[in-house]
Amino acid sequence: MIQTITLLVDAYRELNAKKLFWITLVLSGVIVAAFACVGLDAQGLKILWWSFPIPMFNTGTISLALFYKFVFVNFGAALWLSWAAMILAVVSTASIIPDFVTGGAVELSLSKPIGRVRLFLTKYVTALLFVALQVSVFSVASFLVIGLRGGAWEPRLFLAIPIVLGVFSYLFCICALVGLLTRSTIAALLLTLLFWIFLFILNAADTATLAIKTDMAGRMTAQEKRLVRQQSELERREHWARDQLNERAKADAAAKGEPEPAPGVWTIEQLDAADPTLPNVRAERGRIEKQLEESKDNITQLRRWNDGFVIAKTIFPKTTETTGLLERVLVSDEDLESLAKAFGGDERRGRRDPDRPDNDLETERQLRSRSVTWIVGTSLAFEGVVLFLTCWIFSRRDY
Amino acid sequence: MTATPTSAVSSSPRAAGWAVDLADVAKTYKGRIHALRGVSMKVGAGEIFGLLGPNGAGKSTLVKILMTVISPSRATGTVLGHPVGHKPTLARVGYLPEHHRFPDYLTGAQVLDFYAGLCGVGRADRRKRRGELLELVGMSRWGATRVRSYSKGMRQRIGIAQALMNDPDLVVLDEPTDGVDPVGRRDIRNILLEVKRRGKAVFLNSHLLSELEMVCDRVAILVQGVVASQGTIGELTEGRQRYEIEIADPRPPIEVLRAIAPDLAAAGKLPGGEAIEHTPAMLRVATADAARVQPLVDLIRSRGLVLQALRPVRPSLEDLFMQAVTDPSTGHVLDPGAADDKQGRAARTGGGAA
Repeated sequence: MIQTITLLVDAYRELNAKKLFWITLVLSGVIVAAFACVGLDAQGLKILWWSFPIPMFNTGTISLALFYKFVFVNFGAALWLSWAAMILAVVSTASIIPDFVTGGAVELSLSKPIGRVRLFLTKYVTALLFVALQVSVFSVASFLVIGLRGGAWEPRLFLAIPIVLGVFSYLFCICALVGLLTRSTIAALLLTLLFWIFLFILNAADTATLAIKTDMAGRMTAQEKRLVRQQSELERREHWARDQLNERAKADAAAKGEPEPAPGVWTIEQLDAADPTLPNVRAERGRIEKQLEESKDNITQLRRWNDGFVIAKTIFPKTTETTGLLERVLVSDEDLESLAKAFGGDERRGRRDPDRPDNDLETERQLRSRSVTWIVGTSLAFEGVVLFLTCWIFSRRDY
Repeated sequence: MTATPTSAVSSSPRAAGWAVDLADVAKTYKGRIHALRGVSMKVGAGEIFGLLGPNGAGKSTLVKILMTVISPSRATGTVLGHPVGHKPTLARVGYLPEHHRFPDYLTGAQVLDFYAGLCGVGRADRRKRRGELLELVGMSRWGATRVRSYSKGMRQRIGIAQALMNDPDLVVLDEPTDGVDPVGRRDIRNILLEVKRRGKAVFLNSHLLSELEMVCDRVAILVQGVVASQGTIGELTEGRQRYEIEIADPRPPIEVLRAIAPDLAAAGKLPGGEAIEHTPAMLRVATADAARVQPLVDLIRSRGLVLQALRPVRPSLEDLFMQAVTDPSTGHVLDPGAADDKQGRAARTGGGAA
């Protein structure tokens, strides 16, 4: 117990000595203050005392509470905590493990009656503590802003703490491994940032292929509908042409004094002759059929690519999707609809093919349908494996 | 690992209470670099033990094995009665590594507090000992200053205080006087003697032979991963003492000897068998017994020659060290560094592990 308390006190002292820790904290305060300055009224956006009228984006279209939650999720958590503050946290903590294992320092710690794994994990937790404190302060301040300004006391907002902490820990496990292997802060920092960029690209590729696939599926649905309509149009016209030909045959037979002929079987050429628009209708149907076939091929290919990216993402941590969990919790599907309306979703839909569904919303729905277990569970499994490997190397290495 | 007493170092009267009792400690890096090749040694409670050797001899490796910083390839023995590598025992061991680096965000007092805390020392004890030890190492005024602003000597002093914070039964110090001024060195010597007086064992690793000579009860000389010699300085110099004779005569001493006793000069030894060596300034008789030299002295005086000086001389630790690191077949100093199979330097077996 004495040893654990000693290590935690040391962790606090280490954080306290880092200027970036305080800089990040001050910046967090500034951002929350800016957050509190922004509001929404019946006319539109309100910044301090100034109001900026925006039709469709006012308290008439979305509630004040939803506005603040949206700002917190999309700017506070997704931009500040998940990107800017995260970069500052990685920069601040990248030196923790290299400094710890550097010659002259590690011998002293290892020569004490404390297990190597416990020692290493405590150092690991020190870095997590950095982020935990930052996010906690930011979340408490945001909770107060949303409560006092938006009138919604939203305790689920504190989920930002484990979520952002989780995302940071996905990255820090790589930072710790590289720091241990190279004993270089620069190498640990650069490789962690590269890993993060790789995760970002992987996620972007997944989202892009999913969006294109969804768009293609929407297009295919529209093509199928058009094909059905074109087919019925063709059948209607052929029916009319057939009737015309039968009528003509009846008239010819009556003129010749022959008995009324039975309805004949007419060739396409005869039908086309009866209705000169038929070839065009048939050609249009053929074109739609061809487009549909192409769309099916494209979707098969996109599905293959997207499946590949999803498999790759299953192995690696999912930083963006983990952060997205906060939005899932705080912004419901109904909220999402009303936000889509507020941001002009109806107008966009009006300009689009009425046969096609709203692809953005559909992509968002598909992303939201991915299970929390898959997002967090596999990411934590990756972190666990890397952490186990790092602990194993640390425990077995001679210093 | 079990304790296996070794007879080679059992000359000390301490039959029991060995603070360190090592047998056959070996460490091989990358399968070919033999840093340690079967080291055995004992350090008694209440004694200061000096470990010396050239660079790369394996001294730091041995110390790090004791402190569980390095795992041995093979080791039998105990530290404070527990097998080497037993972590809880380290609560009773104080350690100052060579080139140590304390977290620079801590003050001197916080350094003491932190490492004592890792040893499991309670808060009240830490506070009490912190003040006492800062006083002991002359750092009371600097306890609240961050270590990043300390000089090398101040860091060494804090390092020694750190090693004593847990009131250890065994103190392992790797180059404790490195970077310390003469006053500081004297202070550190006094601290070590005080630790010894309290019945604790001190395991000292140093290049400064004169420092070791002043405080160590016993020493071991490590060369290329084996103990070349080990014992008290008296034991190690036994049989190597000599008498130096200076004659007030313009001729070289050997010429004088040839003139007064040609048979002794030709034999190169006294009738009793004691070897006579000569330098341009003096004659040397290899004996520790003054009575053995008297016939030669009488002979010199009987020929009317003036005896300018007659003094017993004991080899210094440096002499012993140089002898240990010199290849007897070539007379050259052995290469520094560990024995490396690839470079073919593993052939040396002389000296023998004690």
